[in-house]
Amino acid sequence: MSNRVVRLCAKALCLLTLAGFLAACSGRIPSATAVPDSDPAGTQEAARTSPDPATFVQVTFGEPETLDPALGYDTASNEMILNIYEPLIFYDGIHTDRFVPLLAESWRVSDDGRVYTFKIRSGVTFHEGQTLTAEDVAYSFQRGLLLGGRNSPQWLLAELFFGVGVEDITCLVDGCASMDDRDALAAQDSAALLAACQQVKAAITANESNGTVTMTLAQPWGPFLPTIAQTWGGILDKDWAIANGAWDGSCETWQNYYAEPAESNPLSRIANGTGPFKLGEWKVGEELILFRNENYWREPARLARVVTKYVSEWGTRFAMMQAGDADIVAVPAENRSQMDALVGEVCEFDADTARYKPCQVVNDSLPYRLYRGSPTLSRTDMFFNFQVAEGSNYIGSGKLDGNGIPPDFFSDVHIRRAFAYCFDWDVYISDVFNGEAVQSPVIPLAGMPGYQADAPVYSYDPAKCEEEFKLADLDNDGIPAGSDPEGDVWTTGFRLQALYNQGNTSRQTIADILAINVASINNLFVIETVGLPWPTFLRTTRNRQAPYFVSGWAEDIHDPHNWYVPYTIGSFALRQSLPKDLQTQFRNLVNRGAAETDPAARQRIYEQLNRLFYDQTPTILLAVATGHTFEQRWVHGTLLNPIFPGEYFYPMYKD
Amino acid sequence: MTNYIIRRLLLVPVLLFGVTLLIFGMLQLLDPDERVSLYIRGDPKSDAQVNAFIKKYCLDCPFYIQYKNWLLGTVDTVTGEREGGILYGNFGWSKTGSQPVAQLIARRFPNTLDLTLWAIGPVIFVGIWLGVQAAVHHNGIIDQVARIFSIVGTSFPTFVFGLLVLMIFYANLQWFPPGRLSDEFTRVVNSDQFTHYTTLLTIDSLLNGRFDIFLDALRHMFLPILTLSYISWATFLRVTRGSMLETLRQEYVVTARAKGLPERDVIHKHAKPNAMLPVVTLAGFTVVGLMGGVIITETVFNYPGIGSAAAEASVQLDVVTVLGFALFNGLILIVANLVVDILYAVVDPRVRLS
Repeated sequence: MSNRVVRLCAKALCLLTLAGFLAACSGRIPSATAVPDSDPAGTQEAARTSPDPATFVQVTFGEPETLDPALGYDTASNEMILNIYEPLIFYDGIHTDRFVPLLAESWRVSDDGRVYTFKIRSGVTFHEGQTLTAEDVAYSFQRGLLLGGRNSPQWLLAELFFGVGVEDITCLVDGCASMDDRDALAAQDSAALLAACQQVKAAITANESNGTVTMTLAQPWGPFLPTIAQTWGGILDKDWAIANGAWDGSCETWQNYYAEPAESNPLSRIANGTGPFKLGEWKVGEELILFRNENYWREPARLARVVTKYVSEWGTRFAMMQAGDADIVAVPAENRSQMDALVGEVCEFDADTARYKPCQVVNDSLPYRLYRGSPTLSRTDMFFNFQVAEGSNYIGSGKLDGNGIPPDFFSDVHIRRAFAYCFDWDVYISDVFNGEAVQSPVIPLAGMPGYQADAPVYSYDPAKCEEEFKLADLDNDGIPAGSDPEGDVWTTGFRLQALYNQGNTSRQTIADILAINVASINNLFVIETVGLPWPTFLRTTRNRQAPYFVSGWAEDIHDPHNWYVPYTIGSFALRQSLPKDLQTQFRNLVNRGAAETDPAARQRIYEQLNRLFYDQTPTILLAVATGHTFEQRWVHGTLLNPIFPGEYFYPMYKD
Repeated sequence: MTNYIIRRLLLVPVLLFGVTLLIFGMLQLLDPDERVSLYIRGDPKSDAQVNAFIKKYCLDCPFYIQYKNWLLGTVDTVTGEREGGILYGNFGWSKTGSQPVAQLIARRFPNTLDLTLWAIGPVIFVGIWLGVQAAVHHNGIIDQVARIFSIVGTSFPTFVFGLLVLMIFYANLQWFPPGRLSDEFTRVVNSDQFTHYTTLLTIDSLLNGRFDIFLDALRHMFLPILTLSYISWATFLRVTRGSMLETLRQEYVVTARAKGLPERDVIHKHAKPNAMLPVVTLAGFTVVGLMGGVIITETVFNYPGIGSAAAEASVQLDVVTVLGFALFNGLILIVANLVVDILYAVVDPRVRLS
């Protein structure tokens, strides 16, 4: 008996092992939802029916940090906020530059473009039953501005109400000296604190009798509507927020709530919006569940529940998709080919109409739908530092002696242009994006004011790269390096280190491409690519100690101002030590562009800015990837607006 | 026996001190600038902020002061509140878990313990049984099959085997899903209808009279247990087989057989108990490994134990959480070591004498 059992067990285990090997060798295990070609049409239709049509399941990684709309500044947080809270106005379908009223019934703008008056929609209730009022709207914006801090998106709103360059409420108190430091802020003069709060309250006022909210801007502001249409324009229930420990609405106390981090923010883990979904359960590290808001002021959503599961392992996410337990999953670029093999329906983005073409069935037996070709709204670029700060460990000897570079190495425009001509965009797009990306000709993205598809661009050209290196004059003797008898960069060579944040393989590839190509021009040119831990990388670049670095920008609002500012006068410009006269030229154009409300005039201003940027080449603009999104074919109503931080579940439904 | 246990217990604080010193020493390998990221959320915003935190947490103080602060925390002179202090249960804030590390461990550990409880039987006892069978049928067909099985199991990477069974039994057959529980039962468990007596889901589901939830929980644990078992059986089989073969060659076994004792008694009463010493050691460390969270298995099967949480923290360079888990694992290891030592004394009286 015993031996028989042993034999049976041994056979079973051998079979299991064999089955595993066979399955692995087969390349792909057929999905339960993927019906063979020979199946009758009726069976195929049945196979594309979700096992639970009322519940939408997305499986991803990266969890929300906070559900407070005033603080949320990452895609995972903002995806949930997008579905729970609502702003006054909202994006019109997939358009990033057209808006429809949401919690505002209507709005009007004063003739000088500075005063916006919103009529607040009546009959809207929060998830916990209270009615939306104008005071709720005013409180939400006031609280956000006073919450401030660089961890939040409030700098976008601060600029609107207090002027270009005023990035935080502390700038009204002590010239930004106590930014991010609540203790330092609290120690400031109480009159200054009170005045700052009163300025906020004066800028945003509620009129309960009319049901209106008036916002007075510091200057006319072209991107005002895109700014308040985002998740940080989400409206809170004032009484509920105060009852739960948020700012009490008093100008005497606001400094106690300033720069509140997510872990101690009382609204990070709870939510009470007016949106189509309300917070159900949130098991940190496991899943977050949204329930349909049955009392929604519009038609309630068709989905009853939305479950977001956090699964870090790609193989598990893939298996969940195959088993039909997931409706969408996060697919890393390197794993797309596995999903591509199971695509039965393809929806191509048409750049001319900025819409998706009708989806085409390519293989009716396969279970997934693929959306592709839409531009994404972020980009990684390469930034030169015009004047490396003291104490840098990344410029070798700090001299032009072949074993380092002088701190102002990149202040020579020919050096910057030489580097630009040495970068190979084709290799970059092929290696990092599998060919699914487009070189960026200018700072803003396609479709934005300021975008110029025909603007001059750099391309990989070793001859021009060499020519520009020979034109450089780093010893400032007036003789180009290529013909300088006393020696210059062409004959002495250089050594420096290019920085990227450790673990970001795309950025590492960018740095490597340039290092190899520059070395191929002259073997005296040595670039070492160095990966730094993120905090060290950030600190090095912020201290302006990196000679050049690879970094990225993901837009906050779909407006060129949100791109031009960091690249010309904002965060990157500071890290690059751009000369004051160049920044002044940029600032003049940037401010004029933001204040201009006539699209044609705005375009002309930005074209001047583009030309100046190209001529000066402070940054090598790289490429924008195109989207590649999968879902089960039983999913319908997906709204792929690229400005959304994630899925907007309201219009979605399942077969 | 009592003296032996007391001696072992007295060693526990010394070992704990060593573990904390080791973990804190690892932390000191980072510069003060880098250690600031242990205390502030997100990235450093300004030099002033970085310097203020270095000063506040005394990150440039001598080693022993920092170690004391780490153990006992610091008392805010203004508010009088204590900040930090692992002896007060404050392991810091887990950025990846968005909650205090201690709370994260308290929430995840019951799941890992639940998995351990159900995995111990298949992992240890089946492994031992297979090893005994292989030794008894030395060089026979069962032994040959067991040896092949052992080699395959040893050489099969856990994540490969895990993904393989996931593809077969979940993606294809849809028998055993990953995760902890089905959505419908999760709703029940999270509701007021369900009482959490022990925080162990399988035990609580039985105590609540919900056999359906119990079965669903087991269904979700099947593949992790299968994976853990297959990978561990190979080791148990080899160790047990080797030890048994050695014991079966001992003279007292030959004597037992010469006296005409039934073979079953010879094996189970005379040989097996004496062959168990190395197996007890292995079992102890296996249980420690399971309770410390089986990182790859929990990650592949999306099982919400402390292993998957530790993996997430490691990938995201969440040093505070990783150190918290390391300390907790150290504690488990010390306790398990104590239990193994006591079991040794029970199994082999010579250990007590020495």
